[in-house]
Amino acid sequence: MKELLKQKEISILAIILLIGAVLSFVSPVFLTIGNFLDIIEGNVVLGILAIGMTLIIITSDIDVSVAAVTTAVAVSIGYLFTYLPDSWISVLLLFLIAPVIGLVMGLVNGLLVSIIEIPAIVVTLGTLNIIAGIVLYITNGNYINSTSFPKSFMEFANYELLGIPILIYLLAIVAIGTWYILKHTLIGRSVLAIGGNTQSSVRVGIDYKKVKLFVFAYMGVLAGIAAIAQTAYTKAVDPNGMLGLELTVIAAVVLGGANIHGGRGSVHGTLLGVLLLAIMQNGMILARIDTYWQNVVTGAIIVIAVSYDHISYKRSQDKLAKIEVEA
Amino acid sequence: MKLSKESILGLIALGTFLLLALIAPGFLSSNNITSMMFQLPEFGLIALAMMVVIVTGGIDLSITYIAALSGVGAALMLTNGYGMLPAIIVAILFALACGAFNGFVISKIGVSPILVTLGTMVLFEGIILAITKGNSISGFSDGYSLIGNGYYLGLVPLSIVIFVLFAIITAILLSKTSWGRSVYMYGSNETATLFSGVKNSRVLMKVYLYASLLAAISAIIMTSRYNSVKVDLGSSYLLQSVAAAVLGGTNIHGGYGKVIGTVYAVMIFQFIRNGLNLLGFHSSLVDVVIGAILILVLAMNFFSDKFKKAAETRKAEKAA
Amino acid sequence: MSDYILQMKNISKTFPGVKALDNVELEVKKGEVHALIGENGAGKSTLIKILAGIHKPDPGAKFYFEGEEAKINKPIDATLKGVSIIYQDLSLFPNLSVAENIYIGQDSNKKPWKKINWKNIKKTAERALEELEVDIDPNTTVERLSIAQQQLVEIARALAFEAKLIVMDEPTSALSSSEVEKLYRVVDKLSSRGISIIFISHKLKELFRVSDRFTVLRDGKYVGSYQTEEIDESKLINLMVGRDVSYEKNEKEVETGETIFQISNFSKQGNFKDISFSLKKGEVLGITGLVGSGRTELAQAIFGVNKPDSGELKIYGNDVQIRSSADAVKKGVAYIPEARQTQGLVLEQSIINNISLPILNRMRNKLKLIDRKSEVQLAEQYIKSLDVRPALPDLPASKLSGGNQQKVVIGKWLSAQPKILIIDEPTNGIDIGAKTEIHKLLRRLANDGIGVIMISSELPEILAVSDRVLVMRQGRISGELGIKEATQEKIMSYALNSGNKDESSEVLNEPNQVSQGV
Repeated sequence: MKELLKQKEISILAIILLIGAVLSFVSPVFLTIGNFLDIIEGNVVLGILAIGMTLIIITSDIDVSVAAVTTAVAVSIGYLFTYLPDSWISVLLLFLIAPVIGLVMGLVNGLLVSIIEIPAIVVTLGTLNIIAGIVLYITNGNYINSTSFPKSFMEFANYELLGIPILIYLLAIVAIGTWYILKHTLIGRSVLAIGGNTQSSVRVGIDYKKVKLFVFAYMGVLAGIAAIAQTAYTKAVDPNGMLGLELTVIAAVVLGGANIHGGRGSVHGTLLGVLLLAIMQNGMILARIDTYWQNVVTGAIIVIAVSYDHISYKRSQDKLAKIEVEA
Repeated sequence: MKLSKESILGLIALGTFLLLALIAPGFLSSNNITSMMFQLPEFGLIALAMMVVIVTGGIDLSITYIAALSGVGAALMLTNGYGMLPAIIVAILFALACGAFNGFVISKIGVSPILVTLGTMVLFEGIILAITKGNSISGFSDGYSLIGNGYYLGLVPLSIVIFVLFAIITAILLSKTSWGRSVYMYGSNETATLFSGVKNSRVLMKVYLYASLLAAISAIIMTSRYNSVKVDLGSSYLLQSVAAAVLGGTNIHGGYGKVIGTVYAVMIFQFIRNGLNLLGFHSSLVDVVIGAILILVLAMNFFSDKFKKAAETRKAEKAA
Repeated sequence: MSDYILQMKNISKTFPGVKALDNVELEVKKGEVHALIGENGAGKSTLIKILAGIHKPDPGAKFYFEGEEAKINKPIDATLKGVSIIYQDLSLFPNLSVAENIYIGQDSNKKPWKKINWKNIKKTAERALEELEVDIDPNTTVERLSIAQQQLVEIARALAFEAKLIVMDEPTSALSSSEVEKLYRVVDKLSSRGISIIFISHKLKELFRVSDRFTVLRDGKYVGSYQTEEIDESKLINLMVGRDVSYEKNEKEVETGETIFQISNFSKQGNFKDISFSLKKGEVLGITGLVGSGRTELAQAIFGVNKPDSGELKIYGNDVQIRSSADAVKKGVAYIPEARQTQGLVLEQSIINNISLPILNRMRNKLKLIDRKSEVQLAEQYIKSLDVRPALPDLPASKLSGGNQQKVVIGKWLSAQPKILIIDEPTNGIDIGAKTEIHKLLRRLANDGIGVIMISSELPEILAVSDRVLVMRQGRISGELGIKEATQEKIMSYALNSGNKDESSEVLNEPNQVSQGV
């Protein structure tokens, strides 16, 4: 039990519950199932991307190109729609094509980081520029709206199972799948291992370059899926719609307890981080706080959370008494 | 003869200039040259600010919002009937307050810069939004607009004079003062620097203060040039400034970086942006080219290092 | 079947600019404890890294496992041959559980999507820990364990791999004496079960305690392999160094002057308690004790980087507060840390920049700018007086040998003209010639009036340099000895638990720390 309480995830959960309690007083709407589903559905894209980013941050890297990659895939989807017949097979096909497009871009990032050994922040900064530039060039910044979408896709986008929007299932599948990979497969454990100590991983025969390649490739695949979710949710493709989202993604992961220096992070923690950001935003709308103040609160919470985390880490290090001093 | 990283970059800048002069119509026209000189300083100052932070092994993701908030400060003063000087002072004070906040959390609490500035970036953006309600503030005095649009001695854009001045100041601060030396030493090895009696937290605090000062100067130039300020003032320069610093030879892990390298990189970016524009390329392609150059240069670094190492090993084996 | 578990022949390794190994061989019999010894830089770790598959040897190298020739190109090749290597800095994953740490690597040639069998992992770990007879919960994360426990986890990993040959690289360097004894017992047990062990150490007594045979390397060359029982310590040193070396005990009674430094009641939770001592002008005060007795923590507390909970400090009779390393420099206290490469020097930076770092403020001209000329002069002055080689002030510190790096650190602090110089393990990782040089230098500094506090684990070094010896145990001062009365045996009895007479007397006959400082 004590172990459990020490986990970061628990303290995030506590904060979420606290905010939730306050909000349910402020607005009766907050505690309704409808509101919750809205909150979650509205953050499926953020959630999927944050889950992918978790793996990258566990290996102590970072990817600032995620939003651009997702946009690029979304734009590709938008153009594909003109060629795809109106049938459920098209939707299925989409779930094959979009992840593959994302995968290719993720692989480029991964190869540059692992083989060419360029720091991840620089690589992804570069690919961000390149991808965003190409997207803007091709689309000229114009919307693709739902009129050109096949009906089958619109049906998919509006589909609800047991009263729950399909996109939420999509997030759940990604979350469970990634959790499984991280917890129960060799590659997943290798991700945690190289984040914990790269040198040790070399010595026990883990090919850390392959693992790095994997996390970026996986991020690409998830960006592809997120692109479908984004297109389904907004029912349009907006080349500028996800500008700067990468930083929110990183913020969610960090709030979720992942350590930017590697070795620590979990899918459920990240989901809590996403939830925290989402509830705050939702709550401020419900509490009729001027939308302009929302960023102030979000920013302050990020700064406070990372500071608090660091202070408690330092304390725990100090407490690990190095020497048993004779009384 | 062995050329330094920076001189090679300088040659590349020169080469880019010459190439564009040849292929881009009107690149060499005095109109075009002055327009480049008007555009360069605001970005150059942000890039220098980013470089100083990167030399410590950190990064400042909030730098463009510091600039925007500082611009808002100036705009509020100007539109409320204050003169130019108070407006500039308030702009600088706004920026320094932001820098001090970053510096405090990073140097005193010890949180990693990328996390802190990720948070303060959202925070400062929020503060700007709360102040401006998302609107732009515009309509400043003619005197103020001279900072970004006027000429020094009727010949050189005033803003480029300001930029050159601050580039020189930055270079002197970094290479000639004990603070500057400590910045490099800290960036190379913070523990050994602390164990040499350097007050690391003070060094770091000054780094974030100085970066925000440069952001403020950039903000003053930008607001003056555009005659308005909005929340996204200069925000496109954020990632570009990291790219410029890295392309300019700054080590992303800290410990190395020179003003002149960053200035060359900024010039290269400016030439390319302008040249592609004249050649009729879509403006978004400039980003593509800049991103490609960034990755290409670092990949080339990697391969030349590898080649050098292989050559050394071969030589050693031969000798043995 | 061959008697040998491992034979390595014709091993050479060329790094850019250095020939690290030159035609070296190593033969280890089944079930023996084989010591690999040599000075720092003799090539021990390079040889082990080649065995591990981390470094590639120059062409012509041959490996035989149990008499059969084999190729070692990657770490996994060595693992599959039953070689497990326990590095000095360990190869653990602090964020993973003990069980996973023990098991990890067994699957590394499997498909990445292979499902992890947690039951099997736990069973393997439990079995290995049981075999070692250690009581560690396989579910705790490794970061919660002590260094000694972590080392046991590594040994358990080797057992889980069914290693036939375990290499231990300086395994006792971070252990307390009782933990060291436990480790020896583990080693004995492993070898009695037929597992061969390569034991790397520079503590000679230790080698006599654990090894059956040993191989000596010197300057990257193979000197020979011998039966441990056939040789004595002085012969061994001769083999390692190629000449006789011993320090002379410092017998000279120095005329010591006024008290220049005094601390009283220094305490810090979990570090040290009630430490008081004083230092006289011209004196070298030696502080020794086992690793983990709180010496370094105390030194860093005096220097202001490890804030004590309480305690007073006087310099030349004046009460002084040191809150930071910058304060310490201002007040005339210098500290040379043990970790030269990570704490002592900024390796990528030049000798000049390193030497002037503590006194940058004194290097400024009227315009408050650094005066490069006087900086260069300063560096040249110390390069000359300390005989730093090569004498190139612009050279990055990383390009210097250990001894020369240490001279640069010393030069850096001399430039600050300290009243008190605290030096932590001054000759760690430095070859013999440079060691005596540094010892002489410390004496000279004391004679010049600087108060020198020298922390060292090497008793011969303590006896050769100090005028007075403080012994620490578990965060307290357990004894003080004037140099005349000080002997290695007396120091050890203070350093170990004096409450338990049997154990201390046993160790007295065989003091572990009494190496010849090589």
